[in-house]
Amino acid sequence: MPEMTRKLSFIPLTIQVKFALYNAVSKALIFLAFFTLLPVLVERIVYEHIDKRLLARSERVLLTVRKGSIADIVREQDCSFESYNILKEEFVAIYPLTDIRRLDEGPIIRNEHWEIEGEKLQHRIIKRPFVYDNQLYELNIGEGTGSIDELKQTIQRFMLVLMLSVIMISLFIDLGFVRLLLRPLNRIIRRKLQPVPSPTSFDFSPVNSSTTEFNQLDKRINEMMHKLRDTFEMEKQFITNVSHELQTPISVIQNRIENILVEGNVSEDVMIRLSDSQRTLNRMSRIIRALLLISKIENEQYAKPDKVNLLELLDEVIEETEVQREERKIKLEKFFYADESFSPCNRALLFTMLMNLVNNAIKYNKPEGYIRITTQKSGTGFTIEITDSGIGMDPQEIGGIFDRFKRLNTSTAEGYGLGLPIVKTIAQFHAIEIDVESAPGKGTSFKLHFPSTDQN
Amino acid sequence: MNVLIVEDERSLSHEMEIYLTRQNFNCDVAFNGKIASEKIADNSYDFVLLDLGLPDTDGLELLKAAKKSGKESAFIILTARGEVEDKIAGLDMGADDYIAKPFSLAELQSRMQAILRRKHGLKSNTVSIHDFSIDIQNRTVQCKGNNVVLTKKEFDLLHYLALHKNRVLTRMQLTEHIWGDVLEDDYESNYIDVHVKNLRKKLSAHGSIDWLETVRGVGYRVNA
Repeated sequence: MPEMTRKLSFIPLTIQVKFALYNAVSKALIFLAFFTLLPVLVERIVYEHIDKRLLARSERVLLTVRKGSIADIVREQDCSFESYNILKEEFVAIYPLTDIRRLDEGPIIRNEHWEIEGEKLQHRIIKRPFVYDNQLYELNIGEGTGSIDELKQTIQRFMLVLMLSVIMISLFIDLGFVRLLLRPLNRIIRRKLQPVPSPTSFDFSPVNSSTTEFNQLDKRINEMMHKLRDTFEMEKQFITNVSHELQTPISVIQNRIENILVEGNVSEDVMIRLSDSQRTLNRMSRIIRALLLISKIENEQYAKPDKVNLLELLDEVIEETEVQREERKIKLEKFFYADESFSPCNRALLFTMLMNLVNNAIKYNKPEGYIRITTQKSGTGFTIEITDSGIGMDPQEIGGIFDRFKRLNTSTAEGYGLGLPIVKTIAQFHAIEIDVESAPGKGTSFKLHFPSTDQN
Repeated sequence: MNVLIVEDERSLSHEMEIYLTRQNFNCDVAFNGKIASEKIADNSYDFVLLDLGLPDTDGLELLKAAKKSGKESAFIILTARGEVEDKIAGLDMGADDYIAKPFSLAELQSRMQAILRRKHGLKSNTVSIHDFSIDIQNRTVQCKGNNVVLTKKEFDLLHYLALHKNRVLTRMQLTEHIWGDVLEDDYESNYIDVHVKNLRKKLSAHGSIDWLETVRGVGYRVNA
């Protein structure tokens, strides 16, 4: 049973569908119950009517008998009397009785097959004993039940149509009402729960509803988004401030060192140390720039105005890194199977992303190794795979490569551990998925899955 | 050449002043927007180096006003904000160039030279170093009548070194010039050395390159 519920919970349905299902099932059950009980009920009612009628008729017949008007007929016809209408649907019969005990039993009403002129027909019959002229008689008044079956069928047909239409109408009314009831919820989902590029583009206008719960939900979502937006704005402000406050002093020292170097009246040793300091300072500035880049992308401060041919962009990156490859005698294998334009995107960011990946493939490669870049269509999207024949990583290392300031345990490669975090951030910004496969000693492969252009 | 440095960070404007004075520019300094506006109105500058983050005015407003009054000065925007929008807005308003802080003074100077060449054609478009002549306009290098074929980066490197001849350019300055806009995780690369090595190979096939000196532990220098 728990497995069953687990399985069921995997099929999410909308409230409206659930309501409709519940409605249909419950109404079908009611309908089924009513339909099975209906014949019995109809029979009951009809018999009650007939029985009342039969009793009343027997009263009238007896009254007539007592007045003596029937006595001649009875006597003439062998102490018994039978009369029926042409269709044999009704009859009155009087027979003499011998069993005196029947008198105590009083009138009996039951169904019986009555033979009239050789034709056996089902009748509802009242049997009523009475004494006339010291003789015990039984009065039988019958009414054909053939018409009852017809009536039953007619009523059943009628009820079927009626019930079905009532159920359909009520189903539609229910659905309409649920729809009306859930309209604010749908509005909340449509307006407030759709992904927005940044909290600043969130629609804060209230979704008015006459349902308390929906109003509360809407209010809370708005409050939450307000907080988010404030944080977002603060972060944006912070990024600008950090940028200014840190880069300006770096500028000052950078330029001062430059001036001292230009003046040239320092010893060779001091020159080397100054140039080292310049490099250190530049590293600091680049780290700040990298961190700012990541923050600014996360803070949605970049636009996506471009449409880029990915193969051309890759070729540009390949050209840009030619010297690095030559230096380490690394072979490049290009397998470009498809051509793809990607939009909307930020060209400079995509360039930075690919540049970092290709550079990584060079940096962590073995001398005289290879880099293989494969591109192809995949489903509705596009895939770029960058594989190197490098040192590779074990599974533990793969998990942390996108963490900031995490550097691989290698003495050959340099960097400040922000290259792959930049790659990841830019990829996320463009809804590009990254798969990493790696084996120590064999190499690493980064697979970028670009969404189809209209999806992105 | 008259230069107005509009920068509220005094130590920064001071260093810029020292450097540019050394390069035979006449420097004037303004620490806020108000003074800057007055100076721009009263004087005729060839260059205005404009920091966007001024304490009293938005640098962009100042630029707009100056351009409106028909000032001929070349404006170079200096900013630490690094906002792409600032860059676009600045260039749209008629700024001639844009440099993000921290920048190298050598880089600033080369941008100023480029503007001069573009605006006034003041400088000769050919720089000669011994047997080699560099045509900046057409981006070609010739040696004794022969063309020396260089890649884009090799040409940029040679041009930059020639522009700052007789001065050491550090590896960092060269890296920033060549890859300044590319942000990737490889700050201490020796790729500049590889480029210089390739450049040397190509140049030496045509003539002596004793003038391209390696300054041990620091960088490179063109002696002319």
